[in-house]
Amino acid sequence: MKKDYKLPSELRYSKEHEWVKVVDNGTVLIGISDYAQDQLHELVYVELPEVGREVSRMEVMGTVESVKAVSDIYSPISGVILEVNEELSNSPELINQDPYGKGWIAKVKPKNLETELKELMDSEAYKKYIEKQG
Amino acid sequence: MSMRRTHLYQYHREHGKLIDFAGFEMPVWYEGVIPEHQAVRNSVGLFDVTHMGRTLVKGERAEEFLDYMLTGEVSTLEPMKGLYTLMCNERGGIIDDLITYRLSDDEFFLVYNASNREKDLRWLERNSQGFDVSIQDVSDQVAMFSLQGPKAEETLKKLCGEVAELKRFQISRYRIQGLDIMAARTGYTGEDGFELFILDTPLQEPWKAVRFWEMLLEAGERFGIKPCGLGARDTLRLEAGLCLYGNDIDEEINPFEARLRWVVKLEKGRDFIGREALMRVAREGVRRTRVGIALEERGIPRKGYEIWNEAMIGVVTSGGYSPTLDKGIAMGYVPPEYSKLNTPVRIKIRDRLLKGKIVKFHPFYNESRYGWKRDKG
Repeated sequence: MKKDYKLPSELRYSKEHEWVKVVDNGTVLIGISDYAQDQLHELVYVELPEVGREVSRMEVMGTVESVKAVSDIYSPISGVILEVNEELSNSPELINQDPYGKGWIAKVKPKNLETELKELMDSEAYKKYIEKQG
Repeated sequence: MSMRRTHLYQYHREHGKLIDFAGFEMPVWYEGVIPEHQAVRNSVGLFDVTHMGRTLVKGERAEEFLDYMLTGEVSTLEPMKGLYTLMCNERGGIIDDLITYRLSDDEFFLVYNASNREKDLRWLERNSQGFDVSIQDVSDQVAMFSLQGPKAEETLKKLCGEVAELKRFQISRYRIQGLDIMAARTGYTGEDGFELFILDTPLQEPWKAVRFWEMLLEAGERFGIKPCGLGARDTLRLEAGLCLYGNDIDEEINPFEARLRWVVKLEKGRDFIGREALMRVAREGVRRTRVGIALEERGIPRKGYEIWNEAMIGVVTSGGYSPTLDKGIAMGYVPPEYSKLNTPVRIKIRDRLLKGKIVKFHPFYNESRYGWKRDKG
């Protein structure tokens, strides 16, 4: 079951399969990639971070659960949580249906955006990375 | 060690997502756990369960031997009927749960868990000395499917009208389009359904099994039949409150604790392994008992999570998301004083204690709406 995953080129990706979208200088959106949602399959529960919480890069900021598995969401960048996607509490399947749109997880005010963006992968590099994961 | 495969391996690989289950490469889902689960609750689904163990026990003293090995009363079992029963050790701990069918006066067919295939066979052989019985593991010569759901009967009837006559826990032999099939009206989902044994299908010659699988999918097409993986098998049995060996029961748990008292026949005319220990449990009572818990907050309990009241009182042995109830449900063991219905409990999920309560769990769902006893029409 080899699949073509959607990997928008304007996003940056982490090794833990989160994506970051720079909305403007002061805010970024965070979510999990098409590959991650497909691997987890059928999400049935999402634990969101608290608004106002400060997260550092690679810190666990929440959890997604499918019928079969529990998976941590690692913050791909450091910053303060400005907003979370409350819709996901009742409709976690939005992440499966639209991982880069309606399935966004958190809006964050970044701390070291420029430096940390460099440590993330662009869509080409991420594509190669997930191909190696099999 | 290389992974074991069933006759349907090519089909599973092409259509499903494979996982390792008890050393077998099996599909966890094809389309997804939830749609497959719902197909079985609302219509019909088909599972490959060839990984399970199947053994024939024959001989003049086979009945006597199995009465000694099993907690159930084998002597009263009529030909072509089955019995859900347990095999216990001397301490009364559960070695396995299984279905024993009587095929004739001196021939029995045992169907047990994939994870216990080697252990059960060894246990049977080791204890058979003096009984002069033959114990023949036919797991690799007989494929096994499970057709489950309220439309299972109508589906199978398209291939073989006679199956409508089959009562729960009865087994019969049929000729279906040139194939030699044994069908039993049993299952592991809480729904009506059949466990189907395709005879004379060695693993090296998978075609007959593959053909029968395809025939069943075609027969169920107008009911929206779905091939189902082990993921749905697990959520369905959990909702039905059925034990999974290795999770909810094992050699350290006795049938009284597991609320399986009803399959232990202490008063049957014959001695059996574990009887003495179980008589003592019957006299003295238990210190923990299996319960069902439904969460009242959103969250998903899983195996190993702690169950709390004022303090920690037990551990979840099986848990998950219930597609039928759309909430987190669990089974676990707690001291009897906490087992009354509606007792408030909490389940520790990561760093939070989520509210839940003790509920009826055999099954968790409303039996007038779901399951084989549901109101018809």
